[in-house]
Amino acid sequence: MAWKRLAFIFAVGVPLLAVLAYGFTRDPREIPSPLIGRPAPAFSVRLTDGREVGLADLRGKVVFLNFWASWCPPCRAEARALEASWQRHRDGDVAFLGINMQDREEAAREFLREFGVTYANGIDGGNRIAIDYGVWGIPETFFLDRNGRITYKHIGALGAETIHAKLEEARQGVQSRREGKGEYRSIR
Amino acid sequence: MSTARSAKPWMGRILAALAAALVFAAPAVAGEDLEDRMREVASGLRCPVCQNLSVADSSSEMAREMRALIVDQLRAGKRPEEIRDYFVSKYGQWILLSPTPRGVGLVVWIVPTLGAVAGLGGAAWVLRRWSRRGTAPPPPVDAAALTRIREAVQAGDSSAALTPEEARQVEALRELQFDYRAGKLSAADYEELRALYESRAAAALAGARRPPRKAAAEVSMTAHAVPASVGSAPRVWRWVTAALFLVGFGAALGYFLPQSVRARGDGSPTGDFLTGTREEAARAEAPALPVLLQRGRQAMDAAEWDRAIGFFRRALEVDPDEPTAHASLGLILHRAGHPDRALKSFERALARDPTSPPALWGKGLVLYESLGKTAEAVRTWEALLAQEISKEDRDHVLSILAEARQRLATPQGPATRSPR
Repeated sequence: MAWKRLAFIFAVGVPLLAVLAYGFTRDPREIPSPLIGRPAPAFSVRLTDGREVGLADLRGKVVFLNFWASWCPPCRAEARALEASWQRHRDGDVAFLGINMQDREEAAREFLREFGVTYANGIDGGNRIAIDYGVWGIPETFFLDRNGRITYKHIGALGAETIHAKLEEARQGVQSRREGKGEYRSIR
Repeated sequence: MSTARSAKPWMGRILAALAAALVFAAPAVAGEDLEDRMREVASGLRCPVCQNLSVADSSSEMAREMRALIVDQLRAGKRPEEIRDYFVSKYGQWILLSPTPRGVGLVVWIVPTLGAVAGLGGAAWVLRRWSRRGTAPPPPVDAAALTRIREAVQAGDSSAALTPEEARQVEALRELQFDYRAGKLSAADYEELRALYESRAAAALAGARRPPRKAAAEVSMTAHAVPASVGSAPRVWRWVTAALFLVGFGAALGYFLPQSVRARGDGSPTGDFLTGTREEAARAEAPALPVLLQRGRQAMDAAEWDRAIGFFRRALEVDPDEPTAHASLGLILHRAGHPDRALKSFERALARDPTSPPALWGKGLVLYESLGKTAEAVRTWEALLAQEISKEDRDHVLSILAEARQRLATPQGPATRSPR
């Protein structure tokens, strides 16, 4: 009787513990993106200098698309690396485009001034572009190959080496199997 | 998986206001209809920010904008399924509060059903067993054994060849009889208890006459005593299983517990394991050692002690013996009034780099200000002056050194804050 009971507890308890152990090792906030390998959703955005730029205008270039907000600490952490990467790659066939979201325009401009950002930055008023890209935490970065296909997505702060490597992969049209993840802030 | 509608009245008001603002040009009836349809779609979508609320119920900025998007799309003539599919194409199945019953999503639908069936079935089985036990007739009692027990009780002697179990029952019966005669028991209680004890004793007696193994099974059904001679083989297995389980449990605990409580850079007590932040990712994005030290210095200069401690701790995670980090932590500890711990930090720094200027400076300071060991402090600072330091620092050290030497010359002075 006790023997059976023990076997029963094992049969029920071990799978239950296994499920819990698996669940606790996962980030409950993580939303795997279905967009990798698919064509990037088209959009048109107003830049901080007043110009309007569309994704179609960047066709033929490798695109580095970065969603950010001035209130997000990891965005601040990666800002210098992003600008340095832009300086390194600006003469190539690469376009950097920042999309500011969930922010006040003055705060965003102050951020760009503080970090001396020279690449184009647009302001996503109603977060429509962010929803279109399935953004759930920032900074969130998409790498697009020349044909406008998403080759890699990274959530969280990026380093210069990763940017360089992933731009190179995008240039060759190599699609990453997994998303990248670093320190991020959940959007509001 | 619940798609419960919000009962919060303020939420309804906000939504109403939102819908009204969006469709103010349309007639009021159309606006209400649109809001209902928007809620129908939004209540099936999971808010990406707050995890456990639907887009309809969440007050987050993102959910607000998603609701506005749904309203826009509905007004553009999109069907609710199309809008749902749009969100799925952006966020995957994750966004649906009720996942589609396909693939892995099927598990979510099947398991609760199976669980409910198993639970109800189990409950029914247990209840049936209970009701059976309640109404089950008492096990048949060997008439001869019963007679013998009654005789033994009446005879009043224990010399008859009774097993200890039988003797116990016989003794209980005698006491029962005594209590009944003394008027402590009602007739009904007496009859009931007597029948119980008699049948137990008779069963024990009958069992003793049978082959031991079968008897054990019989007796364990009616009485609670199991002869020690039987059941030794399963018992060994039980011990082995218990031992294996204990060892496995201990190993699992020893492995997972340190993982789950390893402190992260930002001081989270739960660490990487429970929150799922991958260690490699955190390490890859961690700033380099010089940056950490510099930021720590800046935080110290700004008197933000907690932040400074954080930076130096992270530096020590990269290099556990980094002398500057140890020395800086020592200075902070000294400031906070922990001279012993401060001294330990300085010693660790000096163990790695015996010429580290901040460690020498701090060690002298602790010895001089807190521990009252002026002579040792003077020696430490003299070692510091032998190193390459800026002119300002040198002047500062020289001035405090002069003060210390003077104090050394006048031994009984009020030299220290906390003399030993």
